[in-house]
Amino acid sequence: MPEYDVLVIGGGAAGLRAAIAAKRAGASVALLSKVHPLRTNSALSPGGINAPLGSDDSVQKFADDIMNAGDGLCNSEAVNALAAEAAREVVWLERVGVPFNRDADGRIDRRALGSGSVERAAYADDRTGHTVLHVLHEQFQRYDIPCFKEWFVTSLIQDAGACTGAVALDHRSGRIESFSAGAVILATGGFIQAYRPCTAAVGTTGDGLALGYDMGVGLADMEMVQFHPTVYNATRTALISEATLSAGARLVNAAGDTVVDAAGLSRAQLAAAVDKAGRNGGGPVSLDLRPVENLTSRFPGAAEVVRLMAGLDITQVPVPVQPVAHRAMGGLDANASGETSVAGLFAVGECAHSGVHGAGRMPGNTLTEAVVFGKRVGEAAAAHAKSAGARSASTDQAARDGGRLAEITSGGSSGDTMGTIHRELGEVMHANLGVTRSDAGLTEAQEKIRTLRERHGKLRVGNKSRIFNYALTSYIELGNMLKLAEAVALAARGRNESRGAHLRSDFPERDDTSWKAHTVVHQQDGAPKLDRKAVSA
Amino acid sequence: MKYAFYPGCVAKGGCPELYTAAVKVAEKLDIELEEMSDVACTGAGCMPTHLSDPINARTFAKAEQMGLPIMTICSTCQGVFSQANHRLQDAEYREEINREYLAEEGLSYQGTTEVKHMLWVLFEDLGVDKLKSLIQRPLEGLKVSPFYGCFLRRPGPIMVPTKEVGGRRGYLEDLTQLLGAENVDISGKTKCCGFPVLTANEESSLGMVAKHAGESKQNGADCMVTPCPLCHLNLDGNQPRAESLKGEKINLPIIHLPQLLGLALGFDADEMQLGKHIVSTKAVNDKVDMLT
Amino acid sequence: MEVTYKVHREDPENGGESSFSTYQVDLPEDATVLDGLQKIRDEQDDTLAFRASCCQGTCGECAVRINWRAQFTCTTKIADVTKKGPEILCAPVRNIPVIKDLVFDMDKFTWDKMAAMKPWMEPEDEFAPTENLIPESEMADVRKTMSCYQCGLCDEGCAVLPVDFDFLGPGAMVKGYRFVMDPRETGARKEERLAVVEQPKGLWDCVHCYEANGKCARGLEPSSKIMEMRDVSFKHGIKNEKVARHHNSFINSVKQTGWLDERKLVMETEGLTNIGGLMKLVPTAVRAMTRGKMPGRHEKRPGADQIKRIIEKAEESK
Ligand SMILES: Cc1cc2nc3c(=O)[nH]c(=O)nc-3n(C[C@H](O)[C@H](O)[C@H](O)COP(=O)(O)OP(=O)(O)OC[C@H]3O[C@@H](n4cnc5c(N)ncnc54)[C@H](O)[C@@H]3O)c2cc1C
Ligand code: SF4
Ligand code: SF4
Ligand code: SF4
Ligand code: FES
Repeated sequence: MPEYDVLVIGGGAAGLRAAIAAKRAGASVALLSKVHPLRTNSALSPGGINAPLGSDDSVQKFADDIMNAGDGLCNSEAVNALAAEAAREVVWLERVGVPFNRDADGRIDRRALGSGSVERAAYADDRTGHTVLHVLHEQFQRYDIPCFKEWFVTSLIQDAGACTGAVALDHRSGRIESFSAGAVILATGGFIQAYRPCTAAVGTTGDGLALGYDMGVGLADMEMVQFHPTVYNATRTALISEATLSAGARLVNAAGDTVVDAAGLSRAQLAAAVDKAGRNGGGPVSLDLRPVENLTSRFPGAAEVVRLMAGLDITQVPVPVQPVAHRAMGGLDANASGETSVAGLFAVGECAHSGVHGAGRMPGNTLTEAVVFGKRVGEAAAAHAKSAGARSASTDQAARDGGRLAEITSGGSSGDTMGTIHRELGEVMHANLGVTRSDAGLTEAQEKIRTLRERHGKLRVGNKSRIFNYALTSYIELGNMLKLAEAVALAARGRNESRGAHLRSDFPERDDTSWKAHTVVHQQDGAPKLDRKAVSA
Repeated sequence: MKYAFYPGCVAKGGCPELYTAAVKVAEKLDIELEEMSDVACTGAGCMPTHLSDPINARTFAKAEQMGLPIMTICSTCQGVFSQANHRLQDAEYREEINREYLAEEGLSYQGTTEVKHMLWVLFEDLGVDKLKSLIQRPLEGLKVSPFYGCFLRRPGPIMVPTKEVGGRRGYLEDLTQLLGAENVDISGKTKCCGFPVLTANEESSLGMVAKHAGESKQNGADCMVTPCPLCHLNLDGNQPRAESLKGEKINLPIIHLPQLLGLALGFDADEMQLGKHIVSTKAVNDKVDMLT
Repeated sequence: MEVTYKVHREDPENGGESSFSTYQVDLPEDATVLDGLQKIRDEQDDTLAFRASCCQGTCGECAVRINWRAQFTCTTKIADVTKKGPEILCAPVRNIPVIKDLVFDMDKFTWDKMAAMKPWMEPEDEFAPTENLIPESEMADVRKTMSCYQCGLCDEGCAVLPVDFDFLGPGAMVKGYRFVMDPRETGARKEERLAVVEQPKGLWDCVHCYEANGKCARGLEPSSKIMEMRDVSFKHGIKNEKVARHHNSFINSVKQTGWLDERKLVMETEGLTNIGGLMKLVPTAVRAMTRGKMPGRHEKRPGADQIKRIIEKAEESK
């Protein structure tokens, strides 16, 4: 059985950064990922990576802005860590190769993401995530860290209360193997594929959240789901960075009149405003990019993705947009070093909830979060692995998982399909757990999710192979999303107020007396249970 | 019709038969040639552009002085020339080269010289009708596999810059048909012949020869025709070595473009110097002999 | 609209023989080829294997040959590939070992070759407190080059790979270019970098066929980048010995006579002490002589002195 000090699950920006940090801290490290690291969700983010690099900016200002955007739900320890370490990480990224755009002095240029905000996002054209991810992967190769790519993690190993490894299926050989480790880092990304439409890659199915949840870790602030305000949506989506808005793009109706003034709005407010304008009868809202100077050289990625997915030329016509589910703020309850309630189990990146985003994430902060916390968590996990004696030696669990896969692949078709269930889930999430929510809608959603879970439980996969059996892994992913959707609905129904990304039509006000607190969902006897947890000052 | 004729190193060296055939054919077609003898090798893609651009600018300046467009008979020369000429359309760059390198000799390039491969001249300047009228011996029954190689087609934006000359992508097939022969298609007709990697990776180079010639043979060709003498050097000259590498006989004659044209214009195999090739052209000679 | 998918199948657990499966699929007008494949897997045949991740043309995961042309399934609209008929043929990218159906061996195809470029920086001042100061004009080209997906579509068009699969290929060369042209790597690092790019099966094995220019999914003109790197390599001194001999011989020949002496070129390239290499050439030389094909005496051209002057001056200018 392969054995490492630190096992990183997930090859996005957070996972790569954590693996590098753990390795530099002297640990033996391996990384497992269900897709090649360069194909992960992190590659899709266009806008930028925040750091207080400007002479008019400071760590304090950055921290204050994050606290503000978080609308009362930020954990200050996490926020301070992010604000204090962001610049160092971004400078390091530049030193090891990210070709950031430059200002007139040859320094890293900064731009505003969204109107009115501070110019704080370092960027590489509008392919920042792609470029950062590629450079992180370069550094990952430099440290010669074993990479088990296209390995799908099926379960975590628990020994005497601690997490001591993971079991994974190799797509290529079809083998199921146990990995033993002193510490396990979950960097598996978010669950936004539970929504239709959504902006994320197909693998963003919340596997890591479900793995941790199954082991007893709480899911915090799951109702906080961020919608991106400027997404083209038809059969497929195409996200256009809000950086275009601060560069002069306008939100217009069919007649060309400005219908939303983006100035000073948070992402959630902007999403709500675009959503509302779209329902106001003036026809669909469009993003008119033509006023942007040097449009195609500043936003080549937007030009490309809109041409490819919508067949439109952004220099000629406005692009119809709507708010689309984008990024969850909720995740595995963890502290600023990524520690969860289970010893040896760490979480980082989009799957983690460190409280750094609170109820509203600032655009440009996830990439920062991925690298800042990636480093912190990688180091913390390496330290834990050194002190922890416990490692798993048993291969029983691999055999048990093998049995579970055999059970899943024991059937044929029954009329119902995973695609249908996934679509129905996505639609109900979009409609009832979308930009605005109400008790009636949430109750309906809970009921719908329950029946979908039942239908999923009855489904079986006909393909019995273990080699590149995507039907099998999709089955597990869909199960994970349904489980998490249940938690989202429960938390959203519980939070009887409006705050950050959570807008309740029946409770339009923020209620600090009862709800200046995190929601935390735990699994008890297979059912979700909602708790409240104080926000750490 | 008159051209500054740039035969290139290979036609004057390793493939003298190409030179002979081209000159004879041009005469028959009423294409007047004034050979450029005091100019340099193009660099053949083997010289870095900071060395080859100045010497090519010199060549273009000389043609400009003669008041003539340049005609080439080698795809490689044509490719290097076209790319250099493309860069030299930038006035600032051209002036720098004039100043630094050409002024001393009293030369200056104004950017007006046109450079055309003989294949393009046939279609774009001479014209299909004139060509047809001069055919004396339609090559009926001859199965020809046209092989472009790389430089005459790519990079596309430079070699086929406008819609008007879009036909360049098919001239070789058009010509074969026009001469009465039958086209044999192969998958690699616009691929590389392998010559440029001969030094760096011989096995790979010979592999390409075996692939192109072998496929032509398999598809029933009597011969291949190419507008590039470097392709010829590799496809013909190295065919025996490619055969021993692959352990199979191919034995397929490789004909230069002007030679094929010449046969249709009534020249015999000796006049077109088919005997100079490494792979015997007997099969082609025999078929052509039957036609007369 | 109703379309017919004809999909390449290959199953390693079933002898690995290849065949095609045909599916009838009803899809919206603006659907992509990927939409259809997903629908097939969901509704008709869950054994079908193909890769995809971002579904919006930004990750590079879904390259497949559609009607024999390699492209991304997620950005190719069915309407565009059914203009000539309702059939959509999907096959793996060519020349690559297939693992299953449309899933091919990306390790051999791309990842291993990218890794051969030693694609990472190791700056001495890695943890300096501030960034490098670099003008935007020197960064833009590197940044554009870094938009490379590492998708391998350009490798698909390469002329060399079908005859020599070990050639590192244009995709890896684009990765090399990103470092060779980076202003942050200078001095000894740049020389090391060039040596990596010039390794056997690297920079000099490209035949400058310019095929890759037309294939790149991001318009990066990989073939032109290779030629630009060769120019850089010239200025720094070619590190591949055999190639260096060839080029020096070439340039010297042009300098001395104005044109190329093929005979000397062959001899000097092989290296006068390389007996094995020379022996290999013998059969060709003998054959050539019996046909009267060996190049004759190599005469100096009129104008040769001017040509020499120009080249020497240009050599100094680097
Ligand atoms: C279109 C788009 C635009 C965005 N724009 C911005 C922006 O401008 N600025 C910004 O800061 N953020 C942006 N974001 C958000 C940001 O990109 C993501 O939140 C961030 O990349 C998440 O990184 P990660 O490393 O946590 O996870 P991911 O990049 O999602 O990586 C997850 C990894 O986990 C692996 N994994 C998951 N499940 C398993 C399993 N069961 N077994 C094995 N491996 C598994 C996956 O293979 C993958 O490697 C954007 C996101 C999207 C989708
Ligand atoms: S086919 Fe080969 S020799 Fe001919 S032009 Fe192309 S690269 Fe040169
Ligand atoms: S230019 Fe070179 S690398 Fe590119 S496709 Fe041609 S031979 Fe291959
Ligand atoms: S150079 Fe272009 S085609 Fe080649 S791997 Fe990169 S993006 Fe793909
Ligand atoms: S799935 Fe990412 S490019 Fe097609």
